[in-house]
Amino acid sequence: MTDIRALQKGLALLPAAVLFGFLVATQWSTLVAQDVAIRYIDPLSGTVDRLQGEQTSLKTELSDLRSKLDEIQRTASTQSGTVKDLQSRIDDLKASAGLTEVRGEGVIVTIDAVRTAGSKDQERQVCLAPDLTDIVNAAWHGGARAVAINSERLVASSSVYCVGATIVVNGTIVSAPFAVSAVGQASSLLGVIDDPAQLRDLKRRRDQLAVDLRVARSPLLTLPAYTGPLAARSAKAE
Amino acid sequence: MRSRAGVLAVTAMALFLGVLVVTQFRSREAYSRTLQQETPESLATLIASLNDRNRILRDEIFDLRLRLERAQGSVAGGRGSLDEAERSLAQLRVFSARSRVTGPGIGVRVEGQFDERALSDLVNELRNAGAEAIAVNDARVGPRTWFGPGSSGTLVVDGREVRGPWIIHAIGDPEVLYVAMTRTGGIVGQFELIYQRTRFTVGRETTLDLPAVPST
Repeated sequence: MTDIRALQKGLALLPAAVLFGFLVATQWSTLVAQDVAIRYIDPLSGTVDRLQGEQTSLKTELSDLRSKLDEIQRTASTQSGTVKDLQSRIDDLKASAGLTEVRGEGVIVTIDAVRTAGSKDQERQVCLAPDLTDIVNAAWHGGARAVAINSERLVASSSVYCVGATIVVNGTIVSAPFAVSAVGQASSLLGVIDDPAQLRDLKRRRDQLAVDLRVARSPLLTLPAYTGPLAARSAKAE
Repeated sequence: MRSRAGVLAVTAMALFLGVLVVTQFRSREAYSRTLQQETPESLATLIASLNDRNRILRDEIFDLRLRLERAQGSVAGGRGSLDEAERSLAQLRVFSARSRVTGPGIGVRVEGQFDERALSDLVNELRNAGAEAIAVNDARVGPRTWFGPGSSGTLVVDGREVRGPWIIHAIGDPEVLYVAMTRTGGIVGQFELIYQRTRFTVGRETTLDLPAVPST
């Protein structure tokens, strides 16, 4: 009789013991997974940092080489009418392609995710790339002559995408807050940006305090030239 | 009086430098914080992406050095720099979308309901996959192209109404572009879930012929 009672007690404790064991095992495996993740984050982010630094140096080198080539062209164009004509067309194309610095009045639209301490947003990474492409689209629609995200000038080959919450523009990592600077007639740019039909999703999230959105008119903006690669491998001019 | 002006100038300069240092520090801090919050998978993807971009930059540097040497030799030899000027011009005409272009690539056919934001995302994704020239039906996408909604379900490209079905052609490596569009969880897969009554067809193209952006 005593044996049966002891067995019944044991059986009653069994589900609790299984549950406890399950919880301990889950917690342990989570901790192990976190440990593994944390262990790799430092060396991996260090590599990202190094490659980004390397890219900055490569872009500087590329710009220097382009300037040298340009200088030779300019010197030569003083000696030949044909080259002078070509040089003038090259200058025009460079300006329209985004390869020269642009100054003028314009608008800066700045966005950043709002992170409240202790909220789930702190843990959940927010990708703002679609918002940036929407702002850029609105800027071109508003007649912008030139647009840049932080210090990356946008050109025909530019893309904006997220890897996690990190934003990559022209193959370069850009950090929050993200500033879309557009050079053009400020009233025309603001006309499109402030239009309720434009950037509806972004404005709704701003009203819900999920994103920080600021729009400012600027009397003088200076946008840098694009410094990335130009060469096309597949497309040939006809 | 003079020394007072000097002190003011130094103060202003110190203030300016201080602001610069703090801005730089904050930007650096934000950058590091962003990376520290990423998962190892995301960081590995970033590394692959940066490696790829740096390789393209190195290739272009190599090519530019050769061009520079040739141009220097040609000018020193009294032959001028006509070849180099023509080469630069051809490259810029492709890059700025001011030239008609031909080459291999892909076509994405969209039949049914679609909108301007999705079209903009699709173009962004094609550029991200390395597309060198893009057109929506017969409208070439240029450096300042914008998309908008048109009347009765049409779309607007640079102020011009473009009716469906829309065929988005992109010149680039056909295999890379095709995989980027059709991979599991990729943009076309996402579109198929969102626009369930719209048909999306992606195909490789041996030769595409895309128009130039209209001259302004």
